[in-house]
Amino acid sequence: MTPDRPAADAAGALPIAIADVTLRFGGRHGTLTALDACTLDVPAGSFTVVIGPNGCGKSTLLRLVAGLLQPTAGRVRVGGDAPRAGDGRTGLAFQQPRLVPWRSTLDNVALPLEIAGLPADDRRGAATAALERVGLAHAAGLSPRELSGGMAQRAALARALITDPPILLLDEPFSALDALTRETFDAELQRLWLERRRTVVLVTHSVPEAIQLADRVLVMTPRPGRVARTVAVDLPRPRPPDLAADPRAAELAGAVREALAEAHAVELRAWADESADAEETA
Amino acid sequence: MRRIGGAFLSLAAFLALWKAVTVIGGYPPYILPPPEAVAARAGEAIGSGLLWRHASLTLLEIVLGFALGAGAALVTGVALGKSVVVERVLSPYIVAAQAVPILALAPLLDIWFGGGFLARVVVCALIVFFPIAIATMVGIRSADPLLDEMLRSLGAGPAQRTRLLEIPSALPVVFGGLRVGVTLAVIGAVVAEWASAGGTGLGVLINIANQGLFDTPLMFVALVTLAVLGLAFYGLVVLVERRLIVR
Repeated sequence: MTPDRPAADAAGALPIAIADVTLRFGGRHGTLTALDACTLDVPAGSFTVVIGPNGCGKSTLLRLVAGLLQPTAGRVRVGGDAPRAGDGRTGLAFQQPRLVPWRSTLDNVALPLEIAGLPADDRRGAATAALERVGLAHAAGLSPRELSGGMAQRAALARALITDPPILLLDEPFSALDALTRETFDAELQRLWLERRRTVVLVTHSVPEAIQLADRVLVMTPRPGRVARTVAVDLPRPRPPDLAADPRAAELAGAVREALAEAHAVELRAWADESADAEETA
Repeated sequence: MRRIGGAFLSLAAFLALWKAVTVIGGYPPYILPPPEAVAARAGEAIGSGLLWRHASLTLLEIVLGFALGAGAALVTGVALGKSVVVERVLSPYIVAAQAVPILALAPLLDIWFGGGFLARVVVCALIVFFPIAIATMVGIRSADPLLDEMLRSLGAGPAQRTRLLEIPSALPVVFGGLRVGVTLAVIGAVVAEWASAGGTGLGVLINIANQGLFDTPLMFVALVTLAVLGLAFYGLVVLVERRLIVR
């Protein structure tokens, strides 16, 4: 699928294997099937983008890989084992920065190491380095409330990167940012990934972002979620921020949009319901 | 400086109003003594060591009762907040105990705990328990579920999540409960002193002044001392709150 990329990365990236995974949430008002017999493989060191409408189970997929949720049926494997929350193999960044408001930016970034029980001096050094990596060294002593939306999201990214996990799971971390900041983030994410080829799974709503970053794009169907189509993005790297002029990029974007439209058409009514749900939760 | 000035002004106005009422109304001192009579009586009571003898015991009852009640309430509140089962099992008893007036309960506790200092401390502890336990429970539950998920994704166990997230989230609400509780502790001490016959304490002093001596100025001295104690403890709680909570 990605001929210019090795299947496994020697630098400690791990593959993800999801086989026939079904996930149902049981609630007071009946059950809800978030994923239905979903199967996908993510090679070690690859950059995979998952795209789909609201409520198609993209975030659920990441939580399964992070070990925060257990599948109702099927198998999730990270480097061959079932993932457990906090096993150190995945770093998760959320749509919201989720910084702890009473801790400084530095202490927020150091949180994963504190939970792991590292001594304070080591934590401080590693957190400072992680902040430097995302260009936020000057904000170490600031409180999260003093950070702009972009800075807060950078800090959250630093927190996900600090343990240098083999797999990075990004749940629309840039969706709340303005277009310009977002473009910068995409470029930086590409740079970070080219620096250290970890396995990255990025969930997004944005087709240009998907084409900009992905080795391949997985298009999901509306709930219950399943992978409807895989689009391999064979553009050379590093990719410039503005790919719109590139005919091959336009062609790939067209393919992704078409796959999205197809997925919608199949379950148009379900999608309408999901959109309503998403608005309620938003 | 401005705040102290404001407090001083309001105190002066209060005393002036008090004096005016006694003069205009022409009340005898055993109904409403003028402020200077109360001040003079206070001077005597302080000089003779009478006030300190009674106030020191009440002070100790409040401090120990509050510490005991608040300590138990914090632990219980965390358990109530963390576990629905614990809440279901315990809350009927806690609410029932709170619904029974402490005034009615105090004589019973007086019998159980030997009619002295210990009984008074227990009454204080009991009266401060409820608001603090409930505030802690509500506070623990106010933790942001998104932050909780973030911590779980980092492998934080239940104890770590309590320490890193739930307790800090609960603090503002807990301090609301502590503020209410500390003023209730003063009430609890006096109620308990009334329930136990004789002895020492500001509540006892009020009884002596009222029934035995018709010494209304001394009653006022005791009342003012209680008010000052309440204010001081409340201020102390606010002070700790300001130091502890980063906003």
